[in-house]
Amino acid sequence: MTTDFTPESERLIMSDSYVIIGDGIAGASAAETLRQEAPDADITVITDEGESLYNRILIKEYAKGKLPEAPISIHDESWYDDHDVDLRLDTVVVDVDVESDEIRTHEGETIGYDKLLLGIGGTPQQLPVENADAKGIHHFWTFQDARKIKESVEDADRGAIVGAGLLGIDFAAICGAQDVEAKYLMRGDSWWRYALSNEGAEIMHEAMRERGVEPVFDSGVDRFEVDDDGHVEAAVDPNGERYECDFAGVAIGLDLNTELVEGTPIEVDDGIVVDEYMRTNVDNVFAAGDITRFYDVLLGEQAQNGAWGSAKEQGTIAARNMIDYESERFEWVSSYSITHFDFPFLSFGHPTLGDDSVEATTAEGEWRRVALKDGKVVGGVLIGDLSPQSAFKKLMREGRDVRGQTDLLMEPGFSVDDLAAPTEQ
Amino acid sequence: MPIREQGRRMRLRRTGTILPEARIRHYDELGDDAQATVAELAGRPRTAAEASDLEDGDVVKFTDYYVVRAR
Repeated sequence: MTTDFTPESERLIMSDSYVIIGDGIAGASAAETLRQEAPDADITVITDEGESLYNRILIKEYAKGKLPEAPISIHDESWYDDHDVDLRLDTVVVDVDVESDEIRTHEGETIGYDKLLLGIGGTPQQLPVENADAKGIHHFWTFQDARKIKESVEDADRGAIVGAGLLGIDFAAICGAQDVEAKYLMRGDSWWRYALSNEGAEIMHEAMRERGVEPVFDSGVDRFEVDDDGHVEAAVDPNGERYECDFAGVAIGLDLNTELVEGTPIEVDDGIVVDEYMRTNVDNVFAAGDITRFYDVLLGEQAQNGAWGSAKEQGTIAARNMIDYESERFEWVSSYSITHFDFPFLSFGHPTLGDDSVEATTAEGEWRRVALKDGKVVGGVLIGDLSPQSAFKKLMREGRDVRGQTDLLMEPGFSVDDLAAPTEQ
Repeated sequence: MPIREQGRRMRLRRTGTILPEARIRHYDELGDDAQATVAELAGRPRTAAEASDLEDGDVVKFTDYYVVRAR
């Protein structure tokens, strides 16, 4: 018997199946790229959330009461139909079997794949203290979290915030925007002390105070107290100081959702380890977004990054390498801004890494710090004046050695052209 | 995607009204060139060459909400 394969049937047989776990920006950008560059592929996107891709960096604006819901959505469900992507909402993946190239969902469904992308992100850490799960205590990660925060903070008078980093300051801004007087309880003597000196941090502290949020240093939370209904009524710090509150925001970090791949051969080291092509140590399994510990070709070592732009780019790069491995490296200088105040704040690269740094106040309310490793820029923070960001990012991309010239980096109006031309190696 | 008119200039105008149908772009979503343009124009009565990933009518969340006007 002979079989007459038409081009159409051949294409059906040969089409690859791609399964993406996670519909955040990393998973969604991968789906978009796959559809563009592998038009015949079968693409399935699975998310445990009840809604499709939304703009995670705008949900804080929703919680502040500054934005309606509608503009925050990026892909409505029709987008998936229009692009022939099989979207599974409210679906929890409980097992990844890399031997048989299958995943299993909580409802018992088995889905096979040729290539798998893990964009499974993280879950906010809970404070390991008494009453940490009381009513009125919030963590901030999903749009659904933002809805609950907005509802809760609108009825609140006094707040307590824990977590002196980039996520915690969103809670400070939400309290400020919603006219909630708040105490921002920090373990150290300044906000984001791993990236800022006291001088830079004080600009941020003053901005918080102007919005009715008082930083409290050398503090933190030892326990929460609750009323008879189980609603938070105070945070008590390790010094025994009691701060009354009917709203509390906890942002002390993320637990990466690596438990899904525990028991598989996929390498995990505080995140899923991937190369510069976003591939794990299992040939047909890739990862992108917050979950990855990726090889940063600019830094020359494994690194992590949770910024939106980085996750989007990782999703795109992962998709291209799922189609054609080693076709494109992830080579990216990430940045993350804080736009809650009347001056801008921007961190770029890896501001908490490096073996040296330079910093300066360049004008009233303007401060910058650049982190260096082996004489090269690896990250930094800009407050007030963002004009040198393009120059600093360019130095990072070029791997320029700036030893002996670091003072120039602190000059207002700094340009790469101000540096001596690089010498030939 | 519509073909973009060449040589247009853009400016930013602060806005307090966000319509549900508006396309909102957070500063962190923009490419390096658009970020530099937004940082340069926000709060200032200036124009600059139109940034490639911003459209007339977009609203940008930076230190405030700004409507993009490109002509």
